[in-house]
Amino acid sequence: MDIDAIAALLLERFAGELTDVRIQEPDTIVAGCARERLEDVAARLKADSEVGYETLNWIAGVDHRTSFEAVYHVYSWKTNTWIELHVKVPKADPEVATVTGVWPAADWHEREAWDMVGIRFTGHPDLRRILLKDDFVGHPLRKDYVDLAENHPHV
Amino acid sequence: MYDHFETPEPDEAVKLALRRIEESTARGEGSDVDGLEFNEVVVNMGPQHPSTHGVLRLVVTLDGELVKDVIPVIGYLHRCKEKLAERRTYFQYIPIVDRTEYLASINCEWAYVMTVEKLAGIQVTRRAEFIRVITGELMRIASHLVAVGTFTADLSPLGTAMVFYMFRDREVILDLMEELTGARMMFNYYRFGGVRYDLPDGWVERCRDFLKMFPRKIKEYEALVDDNAVFLQRTQGTGVITQQDVVDYGITGPNARASGIDLDLRRHRPYSVYPELDFEVITAQHGDIFDRYRCRMDEMRESLKIVEQCLDMLPKGPAQLGSLRAPYVITPPPGSCYVGQENPRGEYGTYIESDGSRYPSRLKYRDPCFCNLQLFPKLLSGNKIADAVAISGSIDLVLGGIDR
Repeated sequence: MDIDAIAALLLERFAGELTDVRIQEPDTIVAGCARERLEDVAARLKADSEVGYETLNWIAGVDHRTSFEAVYHVYSWKTNTWIELHVKVPKADPEVATVTGVWPAADWHEREAWDMVGIRFTGHPDLRRILLKDDFVGHPLRKDYVDLAENHPHV
Repeated sequence: MYDHFETPEPDEAVKLALRRIEESTARGEGSDVDGLEFNEVVVNMGPQHPSTHGVLRLVVTLDGELVKDVIPVIGYLHRCKEKLAERRTYFQYIPIVDRTEYLASINCEWAYVMTVEKLAGIQVTRRAEFIRVITGELMRIASHLVAVGTFTADLSPLGTAMVFYMFRDREVILDLMEELTGARMMFNYYRFGGVRYDLPDGWVERCRDFLKMFPRKIKEYEALVDDNAVFLQRTQGTGVITQQDVVDYGITGPNARASGIDLDLRRHRPYSVYPELDFEVITAQHGDIFDRYRCRMDEMRESLKIVEQCLDMLPKGPAQLGSLRAPYVITPPPGSCYVGQENPRGEYGTYIESDGSRYPSRLKYRDPCFCNLQLFPKLLSGNKIADAVAISGSIDLVLGGIDR
């Protein structure tokens, strides 16, 4: 199945749920998704009989100044293509449902996004910091982060 | 005498390990061997343990020699490279990429440079593409030599000999790279649209000498360990990664291919001139330590094949885009892009978001070791502690890439 056919198929099956679907040459589909629908969409993307996005590649937390974004990059073995899901997360309430139940690999990637950008993944089994120390204060990849000596007490 | 030393508070990872022991005892799963009660112990393996090949710390729950639970703790080498990207131009950032995964740093540069090129729509000169493939594959061999050498050194005294032979031959590659780039490990060699220097006089011949010499060396290594009874007993059937693990946890590289999964980005998401080259994707079936070792050995042969073809096909022309000067300041249009590349350890990629300025507004690494390490609790639990060392050696971790 070529990338145009997959995009058409996704548009049909996820009408209204995947927004701004576009093709990034040569083999990636980029789409937006509402954060309330994420868990359900993820589960259905994985279970899809024709495309089947089974392997989570990475998750990135991004600070867009006005809002946050969680980006999910998932691989489909059946079609040898990728999907990039962009989920907008408001700054006032940076929470998004975890996808560890759908893709086990999400565990550490979500911890990293929490550590670096401070997006809280609700329902995550063990949401600790991963790269920074346990007692670090703040989330350094936020654009408004100011690095103070008090923020890392044990260095 | 030691009064002035304070006993440190257990950190979150140790607390978690202790909590899990309590939970399993409450469930009645306490250790009971032949009616004898054994207490479980929590041991910190690392961050300064030689077998973890870097500053990896494993909080291991042991029942005698049996590993019950593993909690990897990372971040000891964290240098906030993703934050550093916010205040550096795309060009200034190239040497920093080198320092993530330092055993195959040229492949990391490649992933970064390809992402920026795709984002900014820069075409690479054809000669530069071939030089990139040559250097990339040479570093793949060098990286596999370190991987296999240190891993066999973990296993047995036999490996101590192996590691010296392998480092000796890796030195030849590093010499070639030094002649080409001026550096032995931190190359800072790729530029947007090309490479920094063209091949020096006589380099191609010296590279061919290496290609002629090296297959014999691979046979020597294999003669040393392939039929060794101790090596086989310790590696075969131990530390099996199943195909389901590969799919669930996003395992890539030789670790995935050893489980019989045919995934190689050089084939599945072809970049550079790989579509024109003739090479095989090496796979094995069992997914145990031995198969991972075999995959790396055979991949070195394939890399030799690729380098040889590239030297034969090497076209004339500029190795750098346009004039002698590289495009120092580039401002890609707003947008985002991810490009993955087949690093010796798996899929290494960078995701870059541009806001149209001279600096990337967000840069994220996808590191293969980070993803492979996530499997450790599942992979090591239930093994003997000595096997756990062997397994973690066979996964081939580079902490610089994991911690970024």
